[in-house]
Order: sequence, then C-alpha cells, then structure tokens
Amino acid sequence: MTDVDGEQDAGNGAAPEPLLRLDAVDTFYGPIHILQGLNLEVGAGELVCLLGGNASGKSTTLKTVLGIVRPRNGSVSFEGEDITSRSTSYRIGKGMAIVPENRRLFGPMTVLENLEMGAYLHGGGAKEDFDRVYTLFPLLHERRKQLAGTMSGGEQQMVAMGRALMAKPKLLLMDEPSMGLAPILVERSFEIIKQVHESGVAMLVVEQNANVSLSIADRGYVLSTGRLVLEGPAAELREHEDLRKAYLGR
Amino acid sequence: MSDASDTPGVPEPPPEPEAPEAEPGSRIGIDSWVAEADQRRARGRGPLGLAAWGWESAPDSTKLLAFVAIAASLPFWLLKSEGDLFNFGLFTLIFVGLGLGLQVVVGLAGLLDLGYVAFYGIGAYAYALLSSGYYGHHWPAEATLPIAMGAAVIPAAILGFAARRLLGDYLAIVTLFFAQAFLVFTNVTNPTLFGKGITGGANGIPNLDPLTFFGYKLTSTKQLYFFTLGTVVVVAAAIYLANQSRIGRAWRASREDPLAAEVMSIPVNRLKILAFIFGSAVAGLLGAIYAAVSTAAVSTNFNIGVLIILYAIVILGGFGSIAGVFVGAIVINVSFEFLEPQTDYPSFKRWLFYGLIIFVIARLKPWYRAAVILAGTVGFGFAVHAVVAAMAGHAWTTGKPISGAGWLTHWVVIPRLNHGNFDNFLYIGLVLAVMLVASLKGWWRTIALAPTLYLTALVWENVLVTSPGVTALILFGVMLIVLMAIRPQGLLGTSRVEIV
Amino acid sequence: MHHLLLFNIIDQIRALGWGGAFTLLRNGIVLGSLYSLIALGYTMVYGILKLLNFAHGDVFMIGTFMGYGVLIAFGGALAPTIPFIPLILLMFAVSMAGSGVVGVGIERFAYRPLRNAPRIAPLISALGVAFFLENSAQLLTNSAHELYNGYALGGKNGNFGPLLNPVFTIDQVPVTVIMVIVVLTAIALMAALVLIVYRTKLGKAMRATSFDREAASMMGIDTDRVISMTFFIGSVLAGAAGVMYGLYIGDAYFFIGFLFGLKAFTAAVVGGIGSLPGAMLGGVLIGVVEAFATGYAGGQWSEIVVFGILILFLLVRPTGLLGSPAIQKV
Repeated sequence: MTDVDGEQDAGNGAAPEPLLRLDAVDTFYGPIHILQGLNLEVGAGELVCLLGGNASGKSTTLKTVLGIVRPRNGSVSFEGEDITSRSTSYRIGKGMAIVPENRRLFGPMTVLENLEMGAYLHGGGAKEDFDRVYTLFPLLHERRKQLAGTMSGGEQQMVAMGRALMAKPKLLLMDEPSMGLAPILVERSFEIIKQVHESGVAMLVVEQNANVSLSIADRGYVLSTGRLVLEGPAAELREHEDLRKAYLGR
Repeated sequence: MSDASDTPGVPEPPPEPEAPEAEPGSRIGIDSWVAEADQRRARGRGPLGLAAWGWESAPDSTKLLAFVAIAASLPFWLLKSEGDLFNFGLFTLIFVGLGLGLQVVVGLAGLLDLGYVAFYGIGAYAYALLSSGYYGHHWPAEATLPIAMGAAVIPAAILGFAARRLLGDYLAIVTLFFAQAFLVFTNVTNPTLFGKGITGGANGIPNLDPLTFFGYKLTSTKQLYFFTLGTVVVVAAAIYLANQSRIGRAWRASREDPLAAEVMSIPVNRLKILAFIFGSAVAGLLGAIYAAVSTAAVSTNFNIGVLIILYAIVILGGFGSIAGVFVGAIVINVSFEFLEPQTDYPSFKRWLFYGLIIFVIARLKPWYRAAVILAGTVGFGFAVHAVVAAMAGHAWTTGKPISGAGWLTHWVVIPRLNHGNFDNFLYIGLVLAVMLVASLKGWWRTIALAPTLYLTALVWENVLVTSPGVTALILFGVMLIVLMAIRPQGLLGTSRVEIV
Repeated sequence: MHHLLLFNIIDQIRALGWGGAFTLLRNGIVLGSLYSLIALGYTMVYGILKLLNFAHGDVFMIGTFMGYGVLIAFGGALAPTIPFIPLILLMFAVSMAGSGVVGVGIERFAYRPLRNAPRIAPLISALGVAFFLENSAQLLTNSAHELYNGYALGGKNGNFGPLLNPVFTIDQVPVTVIMVIVVLTAIALMAALVLIVYRTKLGKAMRATSFDREAASMMGIDTDRVISMTFFIGSVLAGAAGVMYGLYIGDAYFFIGFLFGLKAFTAAVVGGIGSLPGAMLGGVLIGVVEAFATGYAGGQWSEIVVFGILILFLLVRPTGLLGSPAIQKV
C-alpha cells in the first residue's frame, strides 16, 4: 500500500518508461476545476483499473488521455513521448483505442462497417485483424451484415470491444464496461477483458463496479472529486477498509 | 509507480491523497469560488470591467426605470427639433419595441424566428387596410391595433404548429421562407380584391390615418414619441413579469436543457410556440404603429435587411437580457446615423474613427504588442502607398480625401478617378480580413492586425464616405458572424459553462 | 378575366392542353434536378452538424458567377476564344472547385469556432454569412443581371447554338441538349455522391461522424476534416448546379441564391431531411410543382405555392417522403 505521491523517484531509476503516464494533470470545464493534479501510470501489458463514484472525474480522465479534453496544466505522455498537445487522431494512431461508455456504436451502420471504423487509421482493417476479432467473437462474423443499432446490449458490447481491437491497440481504454449490462453479461464481459489482457494488451478500465474490476486488475487507482485518494496493487485495494465500505459494500 | 509496496495488509491510515491535500472544507469552498468567478474576472479588467459587472448585476427593473426617466426627458434637451426626435427618438423606440419582441423568441425561448419582419409587416398592412382611404375604412386605432396583433398571431400559430416536430430548426427555415413569401405576396402577387391589388404592389399603401384613440388624434412627433414610449414600457413590463413568473422559469429551463425540462413535465414545445406567438403579437403591434408613424405601408421596409438589424440589436444586448435590447437599439440606431454619408461633420467623424482605432490598440496588452501593431500599421500604409504609386501610376494615389485632411494623402491610397469596383473589392477584402483576424490567435493575430487596420482606414476613406447603404448592412451581417465566434452569448450577455 | 384565381387556373389548364402540360412537366424536371443538387448539400450538412446552412444557396449563386467569369475570360458566349465543349467543361471545373473552396472557408471561419456553442449561435452565424455573401455579390456586381447567353454558345453567328437543339420530341414538345445535359449531369453527380458516401472510407467516416461525432473521433477519425470534406462536396454540387443554372436559365444574379436556397431546402424537408434519395426526390417534386404553379397560376404565385407545400408537408407528414420517424438522440 502506498500513498499516492509515495516513492516516484525512490527506486525505479532503471525501470522502463511506463506506456501511459499522466503527470500532475489539471483539467477545467470553464471555471470548474475537474481533475486536480492527477498522476497516473499504466505500464506495458498491465491491467489497471480506475475506480470512483459519479462525478469523480473518471470519464474526464479518459477524455484527457484521448485528447478530447485538454489539460490546463501537467502533461500526458505515451511510450515516453509527450502527447499533451497532440490531436485525438494522432493518439489513436500511436496505438490507443477505447470502448466508450454506453458503447457508442454507429447504429445505422453494419457490424462490419463498425469494425472497419475501429481500424480507420489502418486502412479499414487487414484480414488478419478481422480474423483475430472474429476468433474472439464468432458471433460478429455471423452478424456482420446486421445493423449495429438493432443488436442487444451484450452483442453491442462485443461489437464495441471488437471495434476497439481492430486497431491492434497497445493500450485499450474501457469506460464503464459493466454499465447497462445484466450481471451475467458483466461477468462474461470481464472474462473477455481478461482474455484480451492476457494476449498482451495494456488496459485502463474505468469502473464503478470495484469488486469485479479489482478481481482481474493488476493495480488500481481510486478517484474522488478529481483527486486520487488511493492507489496500489489490486489485491491490497480489495482488502482496504475504506474502499470496502465505500464501494464493495461489505 | 511500481507495484512494489511496503507493508501489505496495513489498511489503517485514512486515504490521505497527495501532499498538499485540502481539508474537506475546501470542497464547499470550491462552490463559492465558482460562484464568484464573474466578479473576480470583472475586477481584473479595471474600471471598464467593473462598469460591466455593475451593469450585469443591476436588476432589470432598475435599468428599465432609468431608461424611461431618461427617454421621457429627451425631447426637452437633446432631441429638441422635430426631425431629431423623429429620426433618433421615435425610430430608436420602435427598434426597442421590436427588439423586445424578438428577445422573447430568441433570447428567452431560444428559437430562431426569421419571419419576425413579416409579422411586423402584417401589422403594418393590417393598419393600412383598415385605417386609410385605400378601401375607405377609417377605423380608430383602439380597434385597429388589436386587429393588427391578431392578424400577426394567426399565421404565427400555424407556423409554430407546423414546425413543432423539429422546432428549433424547422421554425428557422419555415419563418425565413414565410418572410420571403410575405415580400413576394405584397410586392409581386398583390391579388386583386374589390377592384384593387390588396397590398398595393411595390408602391404599397399610402396616406394612412394618424393614430386616433376615441376621437383623439396623435399628430405631432412629440405625441407619437410619448405614445410609443408608453407602448414600449408596457411591452417591456409584460415581458419582465412573464420572465419572473413560472413561464419565464420554464422558458429558461427548456432553453438550457429541453430534454430535462420535458422530463420535468414542462410542455417545452407548447411554451416555445407561446413565446413565438407572443413575439409575433409584439411585432404586429409595432408594425401598426410604424405604419401610422410613417403614414404608409411599403413592403421594402420589411425585408431581410431589417431582420438583420433587429438581430444585431438583440445580440449586441445579449441573449435573454431585456435591458440589453435598449442598449443594442440605441447603439445600432446611432451607428446607422454615423454611417450616413459624410455630409455633416466629416472631420469630427474622422477624428472619432481614428480615435476609436487608436483607443482599441492602446487597450491591447502587453504594451509592446500595441506598439508593434501601431508601428506596423503606419509602416504598412507608407509601403503600400509607395508600391501602388510606383507600379500603378499616380492616378491611383493622388485622390484627395473628403474635406481636407491633407496629412492622409501620403498614407492612404485614394484613387483620383473612379477605378471601377476598386473600393467595393477593398470593402469585401476588409470584411474577410476581419473574419480572419477574429479566428487567429496570439502573434498571428498581431501580425494580421496591422494590414487589417490599414485596410480599415482605406475603406473608411474610400467607401464608407460615399456609399454607406449596402455596406452598412454587410457590416451588420459580418458583425453577427464575428460576434458569434467571439462571444456567442451576445455582447452584454453572461457566458455559461458548457460541459463536454 | 375572372376575379377569382381558381377560374383563371382552370382556363389556363384548358388553354395549354396536353402539350402545355408536357412542357411544364419537362421544365419542372429540369429545374428540379438543380434543386436536387442543392438540396443534397443542405441535407448532408444538416446530417453531419445538425445545422441549417443558410449560406448554401449563396454558394450556388457564387457558382453561377464563377462560371460566368470563366465564360467572359474566354471571350464570352458570342465570340469564345476556345472551342465550346472545353469551355463548358472548364466552366464546370472552375465553378465546382471554387464553390468547394468557398464552402470550406465558410465552415472554417463561421461554423468551426462555434462547435460547442449553444445551438442558436451557428444558426445566427449562418444567417450572417448568407447576408454577407448576398450583399457582397450585390455590391461587386452592381446588382446587374449578368447574361450567360448560353443559347449562343458554339453557334456560328448568334442565336440557337447546339445547346438549344432538340434531342428528341415528345408530343411536339422538344427536349433540348442543355436540358439533357442538366438532368444527366445531375444524375451522374448524385450517383457519384452515393458511391462516395456508401463505398469509400471517407463516406463511412462521414456517416459515422454524422451519427456520433465524439465516438467517431474516438476511432481516430479527424472529424474536423470530415466536416470540411462534407462542406466541400456539398458546395461542389452547388457549384455544378450554378453553372447549369447559368447555361439553362441564362443569367447570374445576386438574389437567386436566396430563393433557390429556400426552395432547395423545402425539397430536402419534403424528401425527408438527412436522406440522400429524399433530397433528390424532393428536388424534382418541388421543381415540377413550381413549374405547374408558374404555368397555370402565374409566376407571381410560384414561391407562395412552394411555401404552401412546405407548410402542408410539415403539418401532414413532418418526416418527409423518405425520412424515418425521428429518433431523438439522448
């Protein structure tokens, strides 16, 4: 268990640069201060979850990572490169992908076209990308001609994940993957997350459902009204008293 | 941060985050900090900022009373002559009244009503048909004015109902088309009824009766002025009261977030259509007054140009601000007079013009930026003058500015003879340059500002002096674009935070 | 001369007979093809930005003047300095490219700064742009009707050049070369547009952006560029319509953009706003209605009849002919 600002420079002089790093990020909406001095890292191949209640700044963090919201202070770097002032499409091109909150599929387009959109910066997707996604989600191959908007919630979740994986991301961002899904589907969906992670993709999962996400994550951060209040290995966070009270309900 | 951690299973320290953590009290503090944001910003802007803050924080009722007191005294000191009272006083008041009606639709209900001038025109034609010798009806104003309002309300209700599905967008296009159809109908179609064209075609309907209430005729300009002032006050008070009531709150709610308002069981569309109809009634009333004042109803007075002027008034005053309409109408009407051909007081206007430019530059910060712009503008002017003189010949540079000011002849390019469309291209060029400057930032803006300012001077000396008619209207069109880009809430409106 | 319009109309229908009806139908289809092209621009921009681009009609107007500029630069219709087929192709090329650039410029300077502003702000900006373009054109052309003299193009000594030769005749009503050119060009451009939107990567990005701009940008799509391209394509179509208007109707005038824009927008609404086939169908329908109104009731009624159609559709079938019932996005 470490305090947040713990030992940034303590022993890791030789440690490799993390894949993603947010350094003292401040974000504002007009005069309202949202993220306040946020530090966050995701190492290569790591599965990190970001927990927090409503309006704690979780989604803003993801938007800051993607460049949809620009920080006023602080920096965002990816693979050691400072991308603070880079466009969203540049960042996606560097190897990020996202499964947005509520999935945000392109409803009037087919499953196939949705997948193509996922690989937009890679020429619409090579055959092996499609094969990879279809192996993971055989259903998508069956339904590739169906309009995405006509599918059920669980199927849409598969399309959204498949779409994000089309770009062969190094870092996959997931915004509330459990939201709006039946409990059984939540479990399925986290199994898939685990599977994807085991194939070597680093992930930053934003969740309110601390129990499930901590069960598969390597590390976790807890955000409250724009500030980090806890961080550490997932196993320890699960045992943390305050966290249990606040999020795990036991 | 590596996952190496010291003492596993020691959960007792309360989750104290990073070093300079504020105590829980600061959470509350953030709210008041947010609430004071406007004040803090105003304080930072010096006396002008404080004045703006004072304006924003004074209640509308106070502003209205102050306006009425000043307006009622005007005929006795500033606008003593009949002509001045007519041009400055009466027409400003009519613009104020029209602006108020439009503010209800645009500012309070958030609808884009582009047929507003048509409702204004309908009021005028209703008065013209019922109170003139055209068809031989000489109805008194106490009957005609309500009928004029009703004549405007009926088509408004139909249009509002027709556009109910996509109210925001369809209403805009439907009303714009309505405005155009109204112009065509009055001007060209002019169907025959009882032996004559019902709208008098391009000539309109002349020789209207003066406003007559219960046998009492309003003939002098002063009487009309005070009557219009009274009307405007009644309209303003009605809007003020409506805005403070449940309806006003519902308007605001449905403008800010229609979906949330709908969920709160506010009948959003019905309220919006109500605002639209109310605005049309105001337009109809003022149309009738306008027709009586100008003793004629002619369709060109209700064209899109008038609409643009009204929008300029509302936007200058700020969306949703009732008091802002008064300011906007005064500014626009006075600037119209300012843009009249420079027959009267040309050198005064010139000093005012250049003074304004220098004042704007001087307010730029830091000071060396202002210096760069000033020096750049002056230098750029001499350079352009020299280049034009060398390349195009002296006929291009030896024109004389109107009314002396010989010091300008070596700086501003003024062709001696009329060089085709030279001045008009200049003007369009200026407008494009202004839009470019508005969209640039930082030093790019500084660099672009010097030639733009010089172009402004060129246009001032070459164009605005001679042909202000169309050019003034273009100015207002551009003002809409630039203002929307810089301050979408209007000049005196308050900004709001948009959460992405 | 009756006093009631209705009797006049009935008289007129009798007087013109079948031949007259064919003539009006022909005129309506040709005019409607132009409306369709402009309506497509409205519907595309509305689809992607939910913005009524009031300035679109004025882009069309600028297109007619650009075509005219090329015509004059090469000697005018009566004495062209280059053969007339390349000349016409050049007019199309310049006008389409130029209009496209104007459209992109409008988007860049008037609409892009307002992406996150309240919805009414870009509408007012659009109104300002339309007003600015129209009045600037008025100022620069001194309110003149500039004559294309399209009928003289390519002729040996004056009137009745190849553009006015009949291609075929239906019931003694001739269909001329220029009419065929207008209709075929419109069809070809629309086909190209449909191919772009449904078959290319850009088209898919356009559809994705118009459905959910933020999600599209999360896929790495540069949505600003996609929006620019949408304005470009829409304006290119308007530019083509501008040249064809000049060749077919014969003149360029600063005010036509406003009127054409209104009618083309009506076409987009009648067809179902946001629907490409709807815009095409609506355009032809409005053109035919206007032609019949002009022929039977008189030109002074045409705008009012088209306006009546708009109101009627909004009252009876607000989704338009091919529009789907609105799904309000939350």
